[in-house]
Amino acid sequence: MTATATGAPGPGDGFPAEVPLLRVSDLQVELITEAGVVRAVDGVSFEIRAGETVTIIGESGSGKSTTAMGLLRLLPDDLAVLSGHALVQGRDTVADPRAAAEVRGRAVSLIPQDPMTALSPVHTIGRQLLETVRLRRGDLDRSAARDRAVSLLTQVRIADPEQQLRRYPHQLSGGMLQRVLIAMALACEPALLIADEPTSALDVTVQAGILDLLLELQEQTGAGILMITHDLGVARLVSDRIHVMRGGRFVESGEAEQIVGDPAEEYTRALLRSVPALGPWDGAGTAAATAPEGDR
Amino acid sequence: MVRYILRRLGQSALTVFLTVSAVFVLIRLAPGDPAASFAGPMATTEDLARVREQFGLDQPLPTQYLVFVRDMLTGNLGTSYSFQAPAFDVVIARLPYTTTLATSAILVTAFAAIPLGVWMARRADTRREAGVNVAGIAAQSMPEFWSGVMLLTVFAVLFPVLPASGFATWSGIVLPTITVALLQVALISRLVRREMGANLAAPYLVAARSRGVSERALTWRYAIPNSAIPVLTALGTRFAAMLNGVVVVEVVFAWPGVGSLVVRALETRDYPLIQATVLVTAGLAVLVQLLIDLAYPLLDPRVRIGKAVRR
Repeated sequence: MTATATGAPGPGDGFPAEVPLLRVSDLQVELITEAGVVRAVDGVSFEIRAGETVTIIGESGSGKSTTAMGLLRLLPDDLAVLSGHALVQGRDTVADPRAAAEVRGRAVSLIPQDPMTALSPVHTIGRQLLETVRLRRGDLDRSAARDRAVSLLTQVRIADPEQQLRRYPHQLSGGMLQRVLIAMALACEPALLIADEPTSALDVTVQAGILDLLLELQEQTGAGILMITHDLGVARLVSDRIHVMRGGRFVESGEAEQIVGDPAEEYTRALLRSVPALGPWDGAGTAAATAPEGDR
Repeated sequence: MVRYILRRLGQSALTVFLTVSAVFVLIRLAPGDPAASFAGPMATTEDLARVREQFGLDQPLPTQYLVFVRDMLTGNLGTSYSFQAPAFDVVIARLPYTTTLATSAILVTAFAAIPLGVWMARRADTRREAGVNVAGIAAQSMPEFWSGVMLLTVFAVLFPVLPASGFATWSGIVLPTITVALLQVALISRLVRREMGANLAAPYLVAARSRGVSERALTWRYAIPNSAIPVLTALGTRFAAMLNGVVVVEVVFAWPGVGSLVVRALETRDYPLIQATVLVTAGLAVLVQLLIDLAYPLLDPRVRIGKAVRR
């Protein structure tokens, strides 16, 4: 236990900027699987300050999503054992499950991986968005909450927002749903956004639009972003700092330009080489041939 | 929508007609002679021949069938041999008892099984949940004639707090209802547990939790409505089956419903009564099924009547 629960300031506004939004130290996550206990996250430490974007990049199974879900305590309690510390605005979500419940949807919100399955299929967009709005802003009455929902949808550039509120998730495309989910994350007015592969389930053509939107919203709100991705193109575009994750550990960490421009680790270089580049086919080794091995 | 309902009603009528036709043939193939049970053990060969002629049983089977279909189309289901009254009226007179018992049993099932299943899903794999699970499997394994007699023994004989049989007072419904519901609660609560378990782990639920939705709202506002369709389907199917007469339970408790009527009709080979019972109960069953299907779009917006499910 750490001495964080006492005197922790309320989430959101007026938090001193010099204290990190998120300080993770020596986070470990052990998952109980049929094959035994797996240490999916093996002692990672990092920080995010207001307005920063920090990216964890790695292959599937490297532990990057588990890190994000673990520090929000969104992993099933009976299957995941957490240790270490994750301080969200000074409150330790690893030590105190109640702190985790209180920061979720207030100090932190999550943009989930697959927008197609991230909304309840039997409720309208409006009902789910309004619920989120009113959770954060209990003072709003129905029509004010509705106005807020409409303005959030407008902010994520969804056309005809009034109409969309009445529709069900299956009536919207994946890109539209991800915009709705971003609007929901914004409705929480978070200081920190955790984006768990926000574009990997989407068509390539809509990925760029979603990333642009995230960056633009970050500029408007000054929120910090923890970006989880396997896509170096995404990481290069959005990040201030990058942590390269493999087998539950960070193998390399640094400023985005340094990681992309002058990687120290062979693994990172392999990741970089695996990014497909547009251009004529030269017959020599490109993407697939040099893809990094060792996915644990 | 109207076209869909009309088409379904047409299909239902055909289903019921084919069912009754099959029963018409099968009961005549089965051993036993209605004339013998009507005329009694002392009857002479001449008596039997006269009774057969009176009932039209001396005709060849195809002729009997054509007469039956002709009469059915004019709304006449024949005269019950043993009651000497229109078979349809005899069945309809018994129907309220069965619908009352079925409604009471399905309500008890729903109000017990849904909260129990939700509780089991939320406490999954704890020791207490395992205990309830074992009790559920036990309840599922008890045949109704045994659990009914046990309930009778305890609550009507050893501690005579409830009537043993019949429907003289409203308290008479308690034991048959519990007997029917016991098995159904065991089955439905396990279905609820499974559906709730799947929905409580679904990505949309984790996403809602990440937005700060409380655990109570996650259960009631998210997981339960999303679990509703299979549970409603199961409840509806069970209800339709109960309307066919909760035969064993009705006999154990001397409940004057369709179930005990059909037993008597079969014993006396009362062909018109058997046919009328099948017609009425099969008709009710397909109607209940139609109502359930019409309720789907209210529960799941992805279902549109008359169209395939999207995605």
